[in-house]
Amino acid sequence: MTEKPKIICVTGGKGGTGKTLVAVNLAIMFKNENYNVLLIDGDVENPNTYLLLGGKLENQKEVPFFKPKILEDKCTKCGLCAENCAPHALLHIADSYPIPILAVCSGCQLCFKICPAEAIVEDSKVIGWTYDTKVKGLSLMIGELKPSEARSAAVVEALLSNLDEILKTNQEKYDIIIIDTAPGAHCDVELLIEKGDLLIPVTEPTRFGKMDLVRIIDLIKLMKKDYKAIVNRSSLLGFRDEFLKELEDNNIDVLGDIPLDNDIVNSYCQGKPLMDEYGQYHDGKGYQAFQQIFKNLKEWIQNDSKNRGGK
Amino acid sequence: MEIIAIPTNGKGGLNEDISPRFGRCSSFTLVNIENNEIISVKTVPNQAANAMGGAGVQASQIVGMNNANVVIVGKLGPNASQALSALNLKIIEAPDEILSIKKVIELYLGGKLQELSSSNVGSHFGANRG
Repeated sequence: MTEKPKIICVTGGKGGTGKTLVAVNLAIMFKNENYNVLLIDGDVENPNTYLLLGGKLENQKEVPFFKPKILEDKCTKCGLCAENCAPHALLHIADSYPIPILAVCSGCQLCFKICPAEAIVEDSKVIGWTYDTKVKGLSLMIGELKPSEARSAAVVEALLSNLDEILKTNQEKYDIIIIDTAPGAHCDVELLIEKGDLLIPVTEPTRFGKMDLVRIIDLIKLMKKDYKAIVNRSSLLGFRDEFLKELEDNNIDVLGDIPLDNDIVNSYCQGKPLMDEYGQYHDGKGYQAFQQIFKNLKEWIQNDSKNRGGK
Repeated sequence: MEIIAIPTNGKGGLNEDISPRFGRCSSFTLVNIENNEIISVKTVPNQAANAMGGAGVQASQIVGMNNANVVIVGKLGPNASQALSALNLKIIEAPDEILSIKKVIELYLGGKLQELSSSNVGSHFGANRG
């Protein structure tokens, strides 16, 4: 019996801490050791994992979202749909057909379900896209929300639905799954955290970093998930030791820290991952930090499997 | 006959000031005009003022339900603009200054105001003020 692939979710709350940097390089390090890796980009408002890998967006599939269609030949203009629409997305005045205002429609489908004349049918609009691609030996699944749309969680759900399909029909395909989330603690992030076995919030050694870290850990704990933080840019302004001590005092487990390193910046800008085994970076402090983090992560995974009664 | 809806501060009425915002104004003043003269005035509170979202849409509904044909607004967001157009209401832009409803109607009847073809501010412009 094969074990389900481990799902590692890289998050953080604060934007720009280095979630994508960490997610991409962890994925590369697992690939280097011949794991079959799936990297999921759940930051659907700004998916940029493929940029750090020098990849492209390919195999675009539309993500549909419900929108109501009013059949005027059946509609009795009773207004029941508009009356019960929680976000007030159906405009109705006496003696007129209800008018959908799609910008505020939540897609709950209540109108479709309660219309006594069955005059509302399911129509759909495109709310975003998913992409599937392979780059640098990794499988990459990306979600992208259509600009001006608000419901990022809908695209995240499409990604997770694809993932569920893979886990159901072809569990051995991947050994490890790494998910990169958006910043914040909104429901699009919550959906991905829920899927993770192990959570890695990424932060920076500043007051803002700590504040946002504590918030995201609140969410992680609420969901009863296991986590270990990474402190990126740890050498920033000389706060490293003080910051790590603060985390320790707050009982926040740390997987590792990554100092400032020009190699990281260069790799980032060039779209060539730092930890690429054929890459040009092998000696810097950043490279070594990632290696240590990877070692700690493998140990954590092993212990986690043991605790779950795994193989 | 024409019914003109104008977002107002306070409880509304001819002597009240026009509200700069539409979706979250305090009230609507509905002025009934016939032969270029005011024949009646009605005020309604704006129940959408504290809505969590979609205030512009709800406000449009209130105005529509009160049989307005024309709306005179200072600022209008994208959802309200879409909703008012969907209801076939003519949208007129009010001048930038804070004027009484009486003065705004005067300007309108004198042909001094222009039609507004779409929203002139972004979403949430009128939220969280005062």
